[in-house]
Amino acid sequence: MTMAIEAFGVGRRYGRRWALTDCTLSIPAGRVVGLVGPNGAGKSTLLHLAVGLLEPSAGTISVLDQGARSGPSQLERIGFLAQDSPIYARLTVAQHVRMGQLLNRTWDAAFAASRIKNLGLDPSQRAGTMSGGQRAQLALTLAVAKRPELLVLDEPVAALDPLARREFLQTLMEIVAVEGVSVVLSSHLMADVERVCDYLVVLVAGRVALTGDVDELLALHHRLTGPRRDVARMPAHQLVIEQSHVDKQTTLIVRSQEPILDPVWNVTPVTLDDLALAYMRQARDSAGPSSNGLELAR
Amino acid sequence: MEFHLNPSSGVATYQQLVQQVHQALQLGLLEPGDQLPTAQQVVASLAINPNTVLKAYRDLEREGLVRPRPGMGTFVVGRLPRTDPAAQTRFRKSMSAWLRSARAAGLSAEEIEAIYRTALRDCSQEEIA
Amino acid sequence: MIRFAWLQSRTQTLVAAFVLAALAVVAAITGIQLSHLYATLVAHCHTGCDLATSQYLSHDQVMARALDLIAQAAPALIGLFWGAPLIAREIETGTYRLAWTQGVSRSRWVIIKLAVVGLASATLAGLLTLTITWWYGSVDKLTTTPYAVFDRRDITPVGYAVFAFAAGALLGTVIRRVLPAMAATLGAYVTARVGTALWIRPHLLSPIQTTLSLRGAGPTGQAHLGVGSQNGGAVTLFAQGDGPHNSWTLSSHLLDSAGRQPTTRQLAAFLHDYCPNFRGPGAPPPSGQGVVQVVGPDAGRPCLDQAAKAFHLLVTYQPADRYWTLQWLETGLFVALALVASAGCYWWATHRTS
Repeated sequence: MTMAIEAFGVGRRYGRRWALTDCTLSIPAGRVVGLVGPNGAGKSTLLHLAVGLLEPSAGTISVLDQGARSGPSQLERIGFLAQDSPIYARLTVAQHVRMGQLLNRTWDAAFAASRIKNLGLDPSQRAGTMSGGQRAQLALTLAVAKRPELLVLDEPVAALDPLARREFLQTLMEIVAVEGVSVVLSSHLMADVERVCDYLVVLVAGRVALTGDVDELLALHHRLTGPRRDVARMPAHQLVIEQSHVDKQTTLIVRSQEPILDPVWNVTPVTLDDLALAYMRQARDSAGPSSNGLELAR
Repeated sequence: MEFHLNPSSGVATYQQLVQQVHQALQLGLLEPGDQLPTAQQVVASLAINPNTVLKAYRDLEREGLVRPRPGMGTFVVGRLPRTDPAAQTRFRKSMSAWLRSARAAGLSAEEIEAIYRTALRDCSQEEIA
Repeated sequence: MIRFAWLQSRTQTLVAAFVLAALAVVAAITGIQLSHLYATLVAHCHTGCDLATSQYLSHDQVMARALDLIAQAAPALIGLFWGAPLIAREIETGTYRLAWTQGVSRSRWVIIKLAVVGLASATLAGLLTLTITWWYGSVDKLTTTPYAVFDRRDITPVGYAVFAFAAGALLGTVIRRVLPAMAATLGAYVTARVGTALWIRPHLLSPIQTTLSLRGAGPTGQAHLGVGSQNGGAVTLFAQGDGPHNSWTLSSHLLDSAGRQPTTRQLAAFLHDYCPNFRGPGAPPPSGQGVVQVVGPDAGRPCLDQAAKAFHLLVTYQPADRYWTLQWLETGLFVALALVASAGCYWWATHRTS
């Protein structure tokens, strides 16, 4: 199976600070992968490593089964949309499209033209005068029109208002439906990830805390509420991810392959949001205080 | 038909889609021969993952309710067994009688709901077991 | 990639080309007038040439000053506005993340950007200095020696411009922000220019030394000799000499007959022995800035004649016929520096920038 991103022991240091440490993960291709984690978890760093903007300080990273920095033909296989959708403020929409054409042999001019038309963008407008939503849409068009096998999006909607966000995700999902391109997107907006992603990677302090197919993960985890109980007495196949206790009641998030039949528990499904948060807390608490100082430089 | 999503329900998105098709079939809004929206249409209106839509349609196909026609779309081919309306009425009446007696015994609405939930779960677990 | 580099720098290049064209038109009109004026007023004058010359020179002073300023400032401006932002702006606005993830390798991107805009810088500076040198042709002949305008005429400005551009590009890449990079570029450029003029240009070719006799020398002429005081200091013997016509005098020293430089005490002793009337108690040191002569050539003649016998001058200079060699050497030096800076910029952008 082709892997969208595969990392072995990848670390990246900025000066003396490690933004990513010993990161090992496999993200399958053909999926829409949500990369989530608290600020400073190393999401941007990981994505920058994947698209070759950064070189790892340790370990190896490959994208679509090739080294991340193996040259321009590799860059043509990846469409990257960086955080805040950087574009040239002084160039017009048409000049951006021209740029894409001049810099990518795989450029699909007809696709770009029809996208610009459908978005209602004025080709002669300077990019610097566009709204955030328009910028993001233009940047997405540039990333997609080079016909990549993989789209890498770094916080694509973080800066957008709700309407622009929804429109952006609609466009993105339409592209996925029509072009069948793999997507890896980082976000800290779980609601969006829940909507669009079918694969989840939770990154905490530069390490992978949880990874897997979204539906499988949801089926695997349960919220249990019931009378107060010692977690140590839980069956071995029920892995407690999170626990909270009040006077007489215990609430757990449990990972279990088998259905939970114990009648003392009221079993309800968990949302992806609950799940991601539970694993983030667990990873943070188990990493100890030393990792709290691990902040991302950029 | 048009799909909608309830993000806070805790029900997986593809299951929500499946349930909505079931409901539409039960209510007679969908009948054999009707076309389901294409994955692209669903995706464009809901901003959800196309794989989710395909997964929902595959589930419906497995249930024998829909069938994809290559190059044309996905069409409804089956019906959901609709329970006899008379039976529905009968059960509602007996349930109402039970509820009245529970009220008379001093049970609150929440208690009644908790009892109902537990009983329902016990039932389904008996089926599994 | 070349076409994209052009697309990106098109506006600034066209603006520069437009300014250059406008300047060239103005320079052409005034320049033709000027050479016509030169031909009629100065070239064939037999009597009253001084008047004719000053009339001629006063003709286009505003233009002359403007062009001189442009010749001085243009390379720095190229470094500031084309060099420093070249990569710094990409980093500052985040567009490097767009540019370096297209289907063109980063090395190619950096090399072509450097080459295209660097070439534009060289062309602009070349055309500019061509215009200015042509315009100044006849004026320079009358007012100055070629070495006095060495860094504002002919080919040196091209070297400066290319260097300023490359230094700007390097500093921008390292500093990553446009405004600080511009400031640093200006600093680096001025340092390089001043440093070269003071310490390197005089030694690009080993200078020629010659001795000048002070016999018959007065306060004017190729060798001057006089007694006076500098900035109100003690009265002493001053002597200075120039190299041959149109040469560039680097230094001149007073030497005694043994070829040694006389100390202050020796000079005082000499004045005491041979020029007693200049340092009597009734002659307090004169006040004023610079060298104030305390004696005219006639009254002090015996004293000065004695000095001319006791001392001679050692003059170090670059002769006039080395002008073009030095032009090429200095231009070459700056182009070489520019290549080093470009290589540094390339290395930094491909290895250290993220």
